[in-house]
Order: sequence, then structure tokens, then C-alpha cells
Amino acid sequence: MTTETRRPTRQLIQPDLPEFDSSGLDPQLRAAIADLLLTMADDEFVIGFRDSEWTGIAPMLEEDVAFSSLAQDEIGHARLLYELRAALTGEDPDRLAFHRQPNEYRHARLLDQPRQSWGFTITRRWLYDTADSVRLAGLARSSFAPLADVVGKIRREERYHLMHLDAWLERLGTHHGKPRGKLLSALKQLSPVATSVFAPLPGEEMLVAAGVLSAPMADLAARWRSEANARLCALNLRPIADGVPAADGRDHATPHESFVWLWNEFTSVAQLEEGVEW
Amino acid sequence: MTDPLSLAPILSPDDRPTPLFADPDLTHEQRYDAFVEHVHGGQKVEARDWMPDEYRTSVLRFVEMHANSELMGVLPEREWIMRAPTLKRKLALTAKVQDECGHAQLLYRVAEDLGKTREQMYQDLLDGKTKFHNVFHYPTKSWGDVGIIAWLVDAAAIVAQQALRDSSYGPYARTMKKICWEESVHIMHGRDVVVTMMNGSQAQRDMAQEALDRWWGPLMQMHGPRTDPAKDRDLFWRIKEKTGEQLRQEFLSTYVPRLWEVGLYPPDKELKLDEASGEWRYTEPDWQELRTVVTGHGPKSQERLDFRRLHHDQTAWVRQTILATPAPA
Repeated sequence: MTTETRRPTRQLIQPDLPEFDSSGLDPQLRAAIADLLLTMADDEFVIGFRDSEWTGIAPMLEEDVAFSSLAQDEIGHARLLYELRAALTGEDPDRLAFHRQPNEYRHARLLDQPRQSWGFTITRRWLYDTADSVRLAGLARSSFAPLADVVGKIRREERYHLMHLDAWLERLGTHHGKPRGKLLSALKQLSPVATSVFAPLPGEEMLVAAGVLSAPMADLAARWRSEANARLCALNLRPIADGVPAADGRDHATPHESFVWLWNEFTSVAQLEEGVEW
Repeated sequence: MTDPLSLAPILSPDDRPTPLFADPDLTHEQRYDAFVEHVHGGQKVEARDWMPDEYRTSVLRFVEMHANSELMGVLPEREWIMRAPTLKRKLALTAKVQDECGHAQLLYRVAEDLGKTREQMYQDLLDGKTKFHNVFHYPTKSWGDVGIIAWLVDAAAIVAQQALRDSSYGPYARTMKKICWEESVHIMHGRDVVVTMMNGSQAQRDMAQEALDRWWGPLMQMHGPRTDPAKDRDLFWRIKEKTGEQLRQEFLSTYVPRLWEVGLYPPDKELKLDEASGEWRYTEPDWQELRTVVTGHGPKSQERLDFRRLHHDQTAWVRQTILATPAPA
């Protein structure tokens, strides 16, 4: 046991973004951090929506409750990250989340497709959670202190997500027949796009040089692949193929039709009337 | 609002005096009479206690209907989880619907103790053999519905549920304490959604009023027609504490003034407080509509059950996997 004092793992409604002064930040570095934050926030926002679709229709009531918690955590993280970006750019977090065009979102292509079967959902979440955990580890000692602080809060919750998803992966992956078949086909379909979480960012070199990010995205991708493949091989599941993350992993110039559907849903009330509160 | 710290601890059967009706040497009639005296004296019945068949069947039917309602109540609101217009609303609505799933789980567990499996209760619901509350048979049409449901449907429900915290069946009474605590947070969320709209544009105010207009009828029907308390067996067994009309009056007393305060008007010209009797007068609710709806002929009854059946079938393989013996490592 460590001497770490127990701290609350979830704060839903009260914003817990630390106050900070960023007036001394180099404008180019500021823009690069803001861009990194947008990619992370959009990832959490989109997966949070995908997960919340299971609320009420999951395979069992216990899992309805669990997936709702995951969804809330992810939306909570998205909120923190949008707020952190907004503090750098002067934007409004809700406008960022709900008032962009579909081609302006920066989430990884891994998250583009609908939730589909429980096997597909578990596989995608496991791939995303393992990748996200490597990315968060690369930011845990960030020289941009507010980001390190926020990442610390997020990691405390993500640890439990990973435990939950890994238990499901093992349960389905070791059960021959349909469960294992569902995982194998989802892995085959998703592995090629899973590295999109590590798609190169325009300001990446500057972020690494300034110590905001510990290593280039391609290096983080390699670290993730090696860790994830160790687990997949232990379960005798298909490993993720080698290769550097594609440059267009977060490019939505032609948005995926499933994301357009999602966008139409989540903007349907928000964009009913300009300038009102909901 | 319930203070969660005040929740009564769950006593093990060993920590309370042995009830008289537990004595196996008594005749059935003596045990039955002692049981009636026990519940009429305000004492609790626990899951492993001896109980008359009629009591067991009545509690099971009551709790099962409640569990079904929580489960089916998820569906109308679930549609709006994807459409919540701000990050804060998205979080609050997801948490609220999660609570309802959690309530269904708690209540099915209470019911299971009485001798019917969760799977069987689920199957009877899907087969249309058991019922769920009338309000969950109706469509949702706008964000206004999200506010009206969370505020008023939950308020009408909590009026009944608060009375169930005194239920004679101990496991149910304790579960209701937790549920009431969470429902009272839903009411605050719903009221906040409605008040925000009423402080907004004319279109937003119209949306809230239009939602209230549609929900008022089902809300007034929710607690059922007036009944003769002397003939109500659920009252006799102290499973519930109040009649439907008492609950409806409580709901009106608390919430009509609050609606008026924010500028919303229930669509009933007869609605007024009779100062002399202290009772609310209202247009007689459409009891034929209530009977039609709860027997599975409401505007969304079959669509919602079909939706449940579809997802239940699609995820059957997951439950089979979980219930199977795990493969050796």
C-alpha cells in the first residue's frame, strides 16, 4: 500500500479545471497544445456517445449501469479537455462540442463506426482504452502543468475502464464459438484503423521539444502495439499488424456516414435555435 | 429529501426478536393471525420469514410491476441521451437513465427473493403477461419532454415511492430509501431543464408548455382511479400506505403551485384547490385510456416491447457466455 491519500474519483457537474496563467506561452506552442487537446477531447466525446447508446439495452442490467458509468466518465473527460482548450483559446466548451461541422471534428477514425454488436463494442473499447492509456502516460509528466493535472484525474478513472474491458476481452476471448468469433472478426476489422489514435499532429515536434508530450506519436504507437500484442497473444488472439500511424487518421474531410448520423443526433437540440441556453 | 446518512442499517434476522408467527408449532390459522398482527403493528417482514401465500404473491406482483416500470421507463428517456444539447445535460441525463437501470436491478433482486427468477420476470414482461406504468407507453417528442418527465413523472412517482419506504416488506422498504434519494435528484435535474427553457425564448417556453399539455392526462391517470380502501389488499398487508387518490392529491398540492410559479399551466380548466375541503378539484381522468394503455395498447406499448425483445435476442449470446463455466486458463 502506498501512502497516497484517497481522493474522489469522479466529479461530474462541478468543473475541476485548475486555474492557471498561460499568458507567457509561446503562441505557436499554445496552438499546438490546443490542437492536441481538441483531438483528445473529441476522442472522449465520441466514445462517450457510443457507450451511452448501450444505456438501457446492454446484455444485462449490471452492464447497463457499468457502461453508463464509462460513458459519463468519458463525457466528463471530454468536458475537462474542452474547458482546458477553451482556457487557452477563449472559445466556449459547449460550442466546441456541439457547434462544429462534421468535417471539423478531430476524433480518431477508430471511433467512426457505430457500436454494432457487444463483441465489436468490447473490442473497440479495449483497443481505444489501451491506446489512450499509453497516450495519457506520455502526458502524465507534461511540462504544461494544467495538462499534467487533468491527465492525472483522467488516469485515475481510466484504470478502472481498462480493468473492466480487459475482463470482458478475456471472458469472450477464451470462450470458443460465437464469443471468440465476434472478437476475432472485430479485431480483423478494427486493427488497421486502431493506430489512428496516434495519428501525427501538426505541432508534434514542438510539443515533444517543449516537454509537453514525452515522445512522438509514432513512438507511442509502437509502445502501445507491443503492450497490446503481448496481451492479445496471451489470449491467442490476432495481434495488431506493424506500421506507422497513417497521416489521415483524424481527417474527416469526407465524414463517415455513421459519424454524420451521430452528429445529426447530438446537434439536433443544441442547434434548434441560435443564442439560447438549454 | 432523504438524508442518505439516515438510512436504516440492514439488520440480519438474528438481530431482531423472533416474530411470533415464526413458531412452527402453531397452526396455520394462528400463524396467519400473528402475521397480520405483526404487519398491522408496523413491524417488518424479512425475505426468509414465513409468510402467507397471499402476502408473498402480492408483494411479488407489486415489486415486479415496479421493476418492470423502471426498466421500461428507461426507453423513452434513452432516446434523448444522444440528443442532450450541452455537456452538462448529457452527463446529467446519462446519470439519470443509469439510475433507472440500477433501480430495475435492485427491484428485480428484491422480487427474486420471493421466488421468481429475473429471467422469468423479463420473459413475462416481453410476452405481455405482466404490466408496467402507464406513463412509459407514450412517445417523447421534444427536449421539453425530457424536462417534464424528469420533473413531473418522477415527482408523481416519488409521491408514491416515499410512502413505500414504510412498506411492511423490509427489503422493499430499504430499497425504496435509496431509490427515493436518487429520484429526488432527478426531480431537481428535470426542474432545472424546465426552468432554463421557461427563462429562454418564446419557442422554448412553447415547447415546455406543449410537453406539459401532452403529459398531463397520463400524469393524472398514473395513480389510478379512486378505490375503496377497505377492499384494497395491498393496503391491508401494508405493502403500500396510501390510496391512489391520496397520492394524486399530494402530487397536485406540491406541484401545481410550482408549475404556476414558472409560468406553466396544466390543460385542465376545472383544476383548482377547494379551500373548504383542502382538496384539489379536477376533470375526471380518462380511465378508459388508462385501462387501454396498461394492457399493452398504448401509443408506444408494442414498439417499446419489440425494441426490448430485439435487443434481448441480440445479446442472448453474451448472457449465455457469462453464465457458462469459464474455459480453463
